[in-house]
Amino acid sequence: MAGLELLSDQGYRIDGRKATELRKVQARMGVFAQADGSAYLEQGNTKALAVVYGPHEMRGSRSRTRHDRAVINCQYSMATFSTAERKRRPHGDRKSTEMSLHLKQTFEAAIMTQLYPRSQIDIYVKILQSDGGNYSVCVNAATLAVIDAGIPMRDYVCACTVGFVDESPLADLCYAEESGGVSSLALALLPRSGQIALLQMDARLHQDNLDSMIEAAMTACKGVSKVLDEVVRQHLQEVSVLSRE
Amino acid sequence: MATVQVSEAEKVYILHGIRDDLRVDGRGCEDYRHMEIETDVVSNTDGSSKVTLGHTVVLVGIKTEIGKPRPMVPDEGYLDFFVDCSANATPEFEGRGGEELGTELSNTLYRAFNNKHSLDLKSLCISPGEHCWVLYVDVLLLQCDGNLYDAISIAIKAALFNTKIPRVHISADDEGGREIELSDDPYDCVRLNVENVPCIVTLCKVGHRHVVDATLQEKACSVASLIMSVTHRGTVTCTRKVGGGSLDPESIFEMTEAGKRVGKALHAPLMKLLQQEESLGRKKQKVGFLS
Amino acid sequence: MLKSKTFVKKTRSGGVVKIVREHYLRDDIWCGSENCTECKQESAVLQRDACIESNLCSYPHYLIPDTNVLLQQIDVLEDPVIRNVIILQTVLQEVRHRSAPVYKRVKDMIHEKEKHFYTFTNEHHRETFIEREPGESANDCNDRAIRVAAKWYSQHLMKSQSDGDGLRVVLLTNDQGNKQKAEESSLLVYKCEEYIKSLIANPELVDRLALSNDDKNEISSSKVLFPEHLPLSKIQAGIKSGCFLQGTFRASRDNYLEATVFVQGEGEDSTEVLIQGLQNLNRAVNQDVVAVQLLPQSQWVAPSSVVLQDEGTAKDDSAEEEEEEEEKLKISAEVARKPTGKVVGIIKRNWRPFCGMLNVSQIKESTRHLFTPADRRIPRIRIETRQASALVGQRIMVAIDGWPKYSRYPNGHFVRSLGSAGDKDTEQEVLLLEHDVPHQPFSQAVLSFLPKMPWSITPEDMAKREDLRRLTVCSVDPPGCTDIDDALHCRQLDNGNLEVGVHIADVSHFIRPGNALDKEAANRGTTVYLCGKRIDMVPELLSSNLCSLRSDYILKLYFRGSWLLFHGFNFLLLPFFPSPPYVLVQASLTYAEAQMRIDDATKNDDITESLRGLNKLAKILKRQRIKKGALTLSSLEVRFHVDSETHDPIDLQTKELMETNSMVEEFMLLANISVAQKIYDEFPDCAMLRKHPAPPPSNYEILHKASKSKNVAIHTDSAKALADSLDMAKVDCFPYFNTLLRILATRCMMQAVYFCSGMDSDFHHYGLASPIYTHFTSPIRRYADIIVHRLLAVAIGADTTYPDLMDKHKQSALSNNLNYRHKMSQYAQRASVAFHTQLFFKSKGILNEEGFVLFVRKNAIIVLIPKFGLEGTGPTLKVEQHTFSIFDKVKVTISLDDSNIQHQKIRMALTHPVILGVSVPTPDVEPQAKKSKLDR
Repeated sequence: MAGLELLSDQGYRIDGRKATELRKVQARMGVFAQADGSAYLEQGNTKALAVVYGPHEMRGSRSRTRHDRAVINCQYSMATFSTAERKRRPHGDRKSTEMSLHLKQTFEAAIMTQLYPRSQIDIYVKILQSDGGNYSVCVNAATLAVIDAGIPMRDYVCACTVGFVDESPLADLCYAEESGGVSSLALALLPRSGQIALLQMDARLHQDNLDSMIEAAMTACKGVSKVLDEVVRQHLQEVSVLSRE
Repeated sequence: MATVQVSEAEKVYILHGIRDDLRVDGRGCEDYRHMEIETDVVSNTDGSSKVTLGHTVVLVGIKTEIGKPRPMVPDEGYLDFFVDCSANATPEFEGRGGEELGTELSNTLYRAFNNKHSLDLKSLCISPGEHCWVLYVDVLLLQCDGNLYDAISIAIKAALFNTKIPRVHISADDEGGREIELSDDPYDCVRLNVENVPCIVTLCKVGHRHVVDATLQEKACSVASLIMSVTHRGTVTCTRKVGGGSLDPESIFEMTEAGKRVGKALHAPLMKLLQQEESLGRKKQKVGFLS
Repeated sequence: MLKSKTFVKKTRSGGVVKIVREHYLRDDIWCGSENCTECKQESAVLQRDACIESNLCSYPHYLIPDTNVLLQQIDVLEDPVIRNVIILQTVLQEVRHRSAPVYKRVKDMIHEKEKHFYTFTNEHHRETFIEREPGESANDCNDRAIRVAAKWYSQHLMKSQSDGDGLRVVLLTNDQGNKQKAEESSLLVYKCEEYIKSLIANPELVDRLALSNDDKNEISSSKVLFPEHLPLSKIQAGIKSGCFLQGTFRASRDNYLEATVFVQGEGEDSTEVLIQGLQNLNRAVNQDVVAVQLLPQSQWVAPSSVVLQDEGTAKDDSAEEEEEEEEKLKISAEVARKPTGKVVGIIKRNWRPFCGMLNVSQIKESTRHLFTPADRRIPRIRIETRQASALVGQRIMVAIDGWPKYSRYPNGHFVRSLGSAGDKDTEQEVLLLEHDVPHQPFSQAVLSFLPKMPWSITPEDMAKREDLRRLTVCSVDPPGCTDIDDALHCRQLDNGNLEVGVHIADVSHFIRPGNALDKEAANRGTTVYLCGKRIDMVPELLSSNLCSLRSDYILKLYFRGSWLLFHGFNFLLLPFFPSPPYVLVQASLTYAEAQMRIDDATKNDDITESLRGLNKLAKILKRQRIKKGALTLSSLEVRFHVDSETHDPIDLQTKELMETNSMVEEFMLLANISVAQKIYDEFPDCAMLRKHPAPPPSNYEILHKASKSKNVAIHTDSAKALADSLDMAKVDCFPYFNTLLRILATRCMMQAVYFCSGMDSDFHHYGLASPIYTHFTSPIRRYADIIVHRLLAVAIGADTTYPDLMDKHKQSALSNNLNYRHKMSQYAQRASVAFHTQLFFKSKGILNEEGFVLFVRKNAIIVLIPKFGLEGTGPTLKVEQHTFSIFDKVKVTISLDDSNIQHQKIRMALTHPVILGVSVPTPDVEPQAKKSKLDR
């Protein structure tokens, strides 16, 4: 049986999108009342739930307190039923630890940590359903959660995964495309300044193609940032309406 | 569970209220909080449900796999439980913090659900001694506001109701080996009969009375609780006492009677609701967390 | 709009997994018709005026074929008459799933602008998307999708029309149920057959219709001749459990009742399973991938040594004749039994269109005839055609449709006619088609990448490159050669050393990677040299003019091969310089001319001096190589003297090897080896190299048998041992023995192949006794050399890489294609030589020559005629008095037997030694001897 054709001659991908189109993004802030900030984001079939606690006093080892800024603590975990084949350990395996580290690095670049010395901000992200682009969805959900918690940030952090097939970059890969042997690149961007917070790729790619991939990723991230902005404004409107009543 | 600090004055306030059958949020002693149930939330599982009981949010996903049956009972399938207390609920559950609670919960669930009285395990058998269906029930705690057992059990019942097991048939080839063949039609599936699946009711002893569906504050005031699983006929299948304090036999008897009453009353509206949701079919709007 | 697709899949470990995928619906998929006013497409593909003359549909219409029609009737759809067809995405994906070759042909048709084929992505269009209903099978769902799309199209096109008699949409399907449902929803639907038959302006299309399984009324006898093929699932289960073996089916060229299946074992070995008998062959065709079951050891047989041809006629569906033939095979020796089996199922068919001739049936009005392919390994095919009388004596192409189990022969349909048989151009065309050699003229797209004439080296290039015009460079090649790609120079330096340079044409400067010219050259792989015709790999402007190192005083760009410094008997390879130089070629000589110059003591000019120096050094190099164990083998190569007017061969001669041949060869080898080392050092992962695996000991059996018959010892443990023992193999009074032995040794060798260094670890070249080797010195006629040029250019910093060059999988695929093309071109060249030999003998009548016996078979001997380099089969019956042994000297008469136009044979008849009943009397040599059939 022939493998899946990732990009047809007419320019359509397996799910009918064109090469530069993103999946459908739906998001909601303030999902949980108990946490300081929470958000739920769906990008296609990848669903992530992000929860922020903080800023609060350091838990755990006091020695890690920084005197001039807040410590950001991230945990990335996946629900055991999130992937097509059941995962046994939700977190603690190497991939989750690596992802947590990446999230931490990304948000340290964006959150204005100097405003909260000697404190800790916890960001927990849980993937409920995984269909490709896990890292990007986490970052987007966590951005919304941090905004919901009222923690000041320099800019939205938007992320997107881009793959390279047949000389053209594909934006926002789904799982079938990612596992089809495509070299993929994940990029987290602060859209207004155009600064890249995180760039990750572990596949073989010819250097001629790197520029076009990064370009495509940045365009895709800017598209995501528009959606996130929309969600935040709408949420604020709803909340302010309720409190007015 | 996540603990809440309650002062002495608050404790007295709650105790007195319960004595008069009036709780802090206006409920009676045997009333449940507002409950919301939705099934088929996660589309790549075989069955899923989400239950919101007050502020407690629980998500259950069921995945079916083909595995080898247990050697003692070669003609039955089985269920496997896993409770994940995620850090979303409280920062204390980060890393390995929630493991203890998770293990405790899954053991109780196992005892309550994985027996032939609750579910027809024989229907999960494909070929005796070789293949059977294994249902991996994964519970995800997203928010904790007391009364975890009840919420989880209702979620599990709803998820089992929602589960669609693909139909397989075994074909024997020449060598005597078995080949499993899936049917081509994605709608061709087996549904489980959840009539006998019990629901767990937790009763907390606060002062001299007991309350159903205690919030975290009420829990902090109670000495001990009794967990029991009740079927739709009112039969009690499993009982356990948790908590640091001690109970005298009369209160246990009272609590058991109350639990039976409450549990029995829970099943009928639940099944009706689930069937109503099912009948909406494809037109049903998937809401999930986006409401 | 977002929908989702859910399905359950089985994993490899036996579990089940549920897959959920998103499915987006779009509003911007256009219909592709010129006529449409609503859709905002940039360029419409389907014409407004889509008229085909048909008495069923007299209005302009578009066609929508369904999957089975597309799979079976691809030949009809490829005809230029059929245009304006809509291929739905559902249909295209199903075709891709079921048959990769048909999918490729459909894609080619879609890309051809004149065919006006349009792909409509119906599964993502909002209005034509359907969801699967519960209880509906996959096939029904696809059929419903096709009907919905057809309905949408007809409604959509109706909207843009003012008048009633406008564009309509016609659905083509052979499925009865689908047709009925379509008619119910008021769609225009026809069966493919009735539609094609209605095209009255083009009746020849009817012949190209593939026979479908519905035509049951044709078959008279319903006797089941062959065992049923097992279904694929049973075959796969059997292979997994080990009771069946999977392999490639290779029919025997000499015996139509015998074949071998090559089963791939672990690593490089493959076991061979013999199949004998029609029932056991079970309708497998050459090159198919089949599943075989081994028979019990008691039933194992030896490969037959009889030569059998299929002489049956069309109406023979009975198996009686076959049984007689099979009896003949059963006389087998105990000694040589091989594993025998029977074919139980076909895994993959590898059918292609075959060239051949029609055997017209004896019955006057019959439309069913037998087609005999030119390739002896393919069985005869039964086709149905009305034009039988017109096709007699013509070479035609036929494709197989199927082989039902009650039919003695497979069924097929006519594709096209090539010309009259025996005609030189037709035969050449057949040869090229049968060997899959691309020989169409270069397309406009390819030619657009050639540089504009007049071309000369630009000043920028001159600045970047080194000026070496001061060197006396000359090239030595066969006479009449226009694509000269290599040249040499030799110079005495002041310190007494000799400087030698190998100069190769810089083709990679003109052929840039990735463009149409490059792709076409990569596809062709090599230049094919037929007798009297050359099929170029690159267009003539490059091969004979700009890249060719001719001595026409135009500056040539070239690539430095290797720069050697000789001191006494040792040489030093200088490092490669960073920029490829340019040079002026002083002279282009033929081998004979160069040899004459060297031998002529009076000539002392620069060119002659450098030739002498080169010759001396070449001898040293050769000695060194032989010491290491290089093999010098012999094969008979002939050259034709062709009459300039009629282009018929006048004379036939074996090629002679002169010293100068060897001289050029030595330096080319040295250049190749040094470049191979350089690119491997730089790119251990993706260098294009060439290897020659050592032959397995079993290959040497015929050599041992032959040498033993004359009591000569041949050692085959290593290349050096073989070379040494061949040098010493001499028999008194038999001077030709050594050459004969070398000819046999050549036949034992394996094929040398290209490979990518990252995918293989064995680099050794057995024949040249070199640890590493590649092809570098002929970029004009071999594509592998162009790749090596590019790698070397990157290694010395003269050029940049491009992504495909570094991808080892792509290189590996490329080298597989190059190996295939190389093999096919060799077969084509041999076939061309054979054809010209036959033409030669046609004009000569009967000749009387001496020869040697090369092989002895049960009912024939193979005789080698050294004068003409000819091998032929001479018949002999089993005679008691005289047995033939290998290397016996015989005298034979040679003539052309053209009783069978497709397979004209050189017939040899024995004159000496005289055997009653076998030999023929020596004929008198008369120049005007009429051709006559010889008695046996």
